[in-house]
Amino acid sequence: MFFRYLCAVVLLVAACGVSSGEDETVARLLVHKRILNRFLVEGKDLVVDYNIYNVGGSAALDVHIVDNGFPEDDFEVVIGMLKIKLDRVGPGNNVTHTVVVRPRSYGFYNFTAAEVTYLPSEVAQDVQIGYTSEPGEGGIAAIREFDRKFSPHVMDWIAFAVMTLPSLGIPLLLWYGSKSKYEAIIKQSKKH
Amino acid sequence: MKCMIQYLLLLLIFTTSLITHGNVGLASASLVSAQEAGDSLEGEDDDVQVEMDEGSPLPNDDSTSVTQKDDEEEEWQLKPSPDVDTYFLFTKPSGTSMELHAGRDVQFLVGVTNKGSKDFVLETMDTSFRYPMDFTFYIQNFSTISYNRVVKPKQQATLYYQFFVSESFAARSFGLAVNLLYKDADGIQYLNSVFNETVNVVETDEGLDGETFFLYVFLAACGVLLLVGVQQLFANMGKKKPAAKPKVEMGTQNVNDVDYDWLPKETLNELNKSPRRSPRQRRTKRGTGSVDE
Repeated sequence: MFFRYLCAVVLLVAACGVSSGEDETVARLLVHKRILNRFLVEGKDLVVDYNIYNVGGSAALDVHIVDNGFPEDDFEVVIGMLKIKLDRVGPGNNVTHTVVVRPRSYGFYNFTAAEVTYLPSEVAQDVQIGYTSEPGEGGIAAIREFDRKFSPHVMDWIAFAVMTLPSLGIPLLLWYGSKSKYEAIIKQSKKH
Repeated sequence: MKCMIQYLLLLLIFTTSLITHGNVGLASASLVSAQEAGDSLEGEDDDVQVEMDEGSPLPNDDSTSVTQKDDEEEEWQLKPSPDVDTYFLFTKPSGTSMELHAGRDVQFLVGVTNKGSKDFVLETMDTSFRYPMDFTFYIQNFSTISYNRVVKPKQQATLYYQFFVSESFAARSFGLAVNLLYKDADGIQYLNSVFNETVNVVETDEGLDGETFFLYVFLAACGVLLLVGVQQLFANMGKKKPAAKPKVEMGTQNVNDVDYDWLPKETLNELNKSPRRSPRQRRTKRGTGSVDE
């Protein structure tokens, strides 16, 4: 009887140990979504970066990242994909994915988290659902406002040059006339 | 006897199941589970109980007030939820060494897994530097970031936090405490100490900063000045001063060297009419003329 109880205890402890071991060896993904641009401008490229870190003890399999935070009405995808599929992210590894989008309009926009799904281990059947970090709200500046502050203002400088031409040109012509007369006199005197 | 053995075995089974089914955390230098880091902050007691002897000199009123205070403290002392698992990762500076660079940003990610059956709302996360010997002593509080993110059952979320380490903290050790405040669907608040370890703040080893650059420029300038000084010294020692020759005024030897620009036009015209000759030439001409005659 005592032996039977002892066996039961040993089996129970072993089972608990296995379950806790499984907990330790599952994949754990940390996904960081961030906007790399300093200025967000209407009609200009906006770089979105996804950093996937596996901090668990096992490989994450069949990793999918779906970002519905850039609807086609508001953003145009220039380079990259907003639906990412990775077969495997090893333990202690990290993967970077970059997408370039272009805002179609200006104003404040809330950049939300992307959805992440993956299998936490090779034996797991239940898909683990997670979400990336949120970049938060960002102001997309109008192209006119941005140009007013940061463009080279070529037309403005040309207009400025044309406006300052008379005030510089007239004195220059007067000086050149007197100089040429003076030089002519000297040449005459040297000929004789 | 049998009953006693059965009771002991059941007790053993119960305790082992409790131990093994406890939260298992993943701990490394840059990746620390909330359970490993300590559910309550270092320096805080989990259970504050005031036990008094029967022969205590304190009157009954005082003892009741003490117990009331302790009850209030226990109410305010927030604990982590067993249904929430957190894990931590430094992304800047990356690596496993517990070193933060002074004058630079520090960035980290916190993963939250809801293992329970109720929604959790991740409210805020705050970070602070503590005195390493006593974690209750705050040195600097960093911003408390509000997230207000809902984590549904069996789901995960990632939180991002960034703070700046002042240059004045260089070459010192601090206790870095990161606390996550959240609540469940019933509104009960919990607090997880996501990270609670001693970190070293080190000076950044930049290749060439402004101060060092100008130091080298100054040293180079000093070196050049020294060389010029030595060269001048040797030049003066080697030379003997020559005797000063008396300067003789030679006058204008070349005719073209004369500047006529200051003269008025009339005078210039007169000069142009009459050929320019030196007095010597005139004399010679006169002399020849007289001989012919």
